[in-house]
Amino acid sequence: MAEFIKLIDITKCTGCRGCQVACKQWNELAAEKTTFTGSLQNPDDLSYNTWTLIRFDEVEQNGKMNWLLRHDACMHCDWPACVKACPSPGALVKTDEGPVVHNTKFCIGCKSCIVACPFDIPRYSKEKENIAKCTLCYDRITDGKNPACVTACPTGCLTFGTKEEMLDKAAKRAEKIGGFIYPNNPKYETHVLYIMPGGLKVADYSHANPNPKMPTTLMWWKNLFKPFTLIGIGGVAGLAALHYLIKGPHRVHEKKEEGGE
Amino acid sequence: MSAQEGMVRVTDPVERIAHWILAVSCLFCVLTGLGLMFHSWSVIPELLGGYYATKWMHIFSGVIFTFSLVYGYFMWKKDCEFEEDDLGWILQGGGYLWQTTKLPPVFKYNAGQKAFFWFLVVFGAILVISGLIMWNPLIFPVMVARFAYMLHAMSVVVLASFIVVHIYLGTIGNPGTVSAMITGLVSKAWCETHCPRWYAERNKKPESV
Repeated sequence: MAEFIKLIDITKCTGCRGCQVACKQWNELAAEKTTFTGSLQNPDDLSYNTWTLIRFDEVEQNGKMNWLLRHDACMHCDWPACVKACPSPGALVKTDEGPVVHNTKFCIGCKSCIVACPFDIPRYSKEKENIAKCTLCYDRITDGKNPACVTACPTGCLTFGTKEEMLDKAAKRAEKIGGFIYPNNPKYETHVLYIMPGGLKVADYSHANPNPKMPTTLMWWKNLFKPFTLIGIGGVAGLAALHYLIKGPHRVHEKKEEGGE
Repeated sequence: MSAQEGMVRVTDPVERIAHWILAVSCLFCVLTGLGLMFHSWSVIPELLGGYYATKWMHIFSGVIFTFSLVYGYFMWKKDCEFEEDDLGWILQGGGYLWQTTKLPPVFKYNAGQKAFFWFLVVFGAILVISGLIMWNPLIFPVMVARFAYMLHAMSVVVLASFIVVHIYLGTIGNPGTVSAMITGLVSKAWCETHCPRWYAERNKKPESV
């Protein structure tokens, strides 16, 4: 199957939150009781039952106040840090189509994916002892449909299609509005892309990582220390065996005992 | 209360029990940890009742390891303080690598054993602290949690390798040694070879058993 990309044209978002509602409906996620926090953002953050969220920010631009609206959800990394960190096979799976999906049946609730994620996406449930996050509606897209959020979006902010098609579209749109594509790290590609307007930085958006990449600590852990655990144990055991064969066991001086007694 | 004829008591029962609680909890942590880190070793979690059960066994075993490590630290630290002669022992390779007659006489533990003790204390402490952070990583800043995962893996590399040396030298590498941690009894000749100064001092005191 082809690889897919969800494109978020941030300039077209009106903050209607149709995507939030559609996500809850399709994935059968319970509503949450929330409180007013002084922002139009509601709920306050992503959660076990809120897989996508419109984040609101107020910034001053050229002396004028501006509202920033950002559809936040799993970025579906091409080389996902969460999957690399996960100890339980099958709990987090990178699919050929692009989405990174979780399976609560196999999740052991260790939370390492939450720590590893460069976008702070997975959310833990104490009651269920596992994690949940956006799946890019893997069940819908493998059936030829668009993700629920994309289907609900009334303004064309969210679009979905094959990788080639969306990359082409993103490049054209970014050029037209003088904006840029985010993330743009060729070493850390994602299956969700933003078209950001010009005149703003990624850092102006709350909870956005301007430089998403595989955490360095995770690289050291999995690429160096992990293999060296076995190399260390095996190597030292090999040296001990060589010592035993070449030098032999270290015997006590029996002569001394005879002399002493 | 005399020991077996011709044998010397080098450990008391409390010391031996503490050693084995520390050893078993440590090895069980290594086993479950390897099962969780290497997906190809799924046979370990499967035999133990699944990945979820293995996670909790790793944590509980880690808690037991923590308490026995603290106990062991206070029990052995006095005998494991380095002294001047230890350098001479290390420079002679402990007599394990080539023939030598220039080994300084050892008191209770030789420099290699002392080094193992301090490696266990330092890297064991890193494992315990990072392990506690990994148990509940979300209450810490993300960079602290990420470092904890990395340091946990790093400490295992060091400690697991040293444990292999410890097991080798405590068993087949030094015939007659392993009984020190089973019955607590070793031969007089063993004492004269491995801890001559301690043995000489012990013989001065008529009360000691």
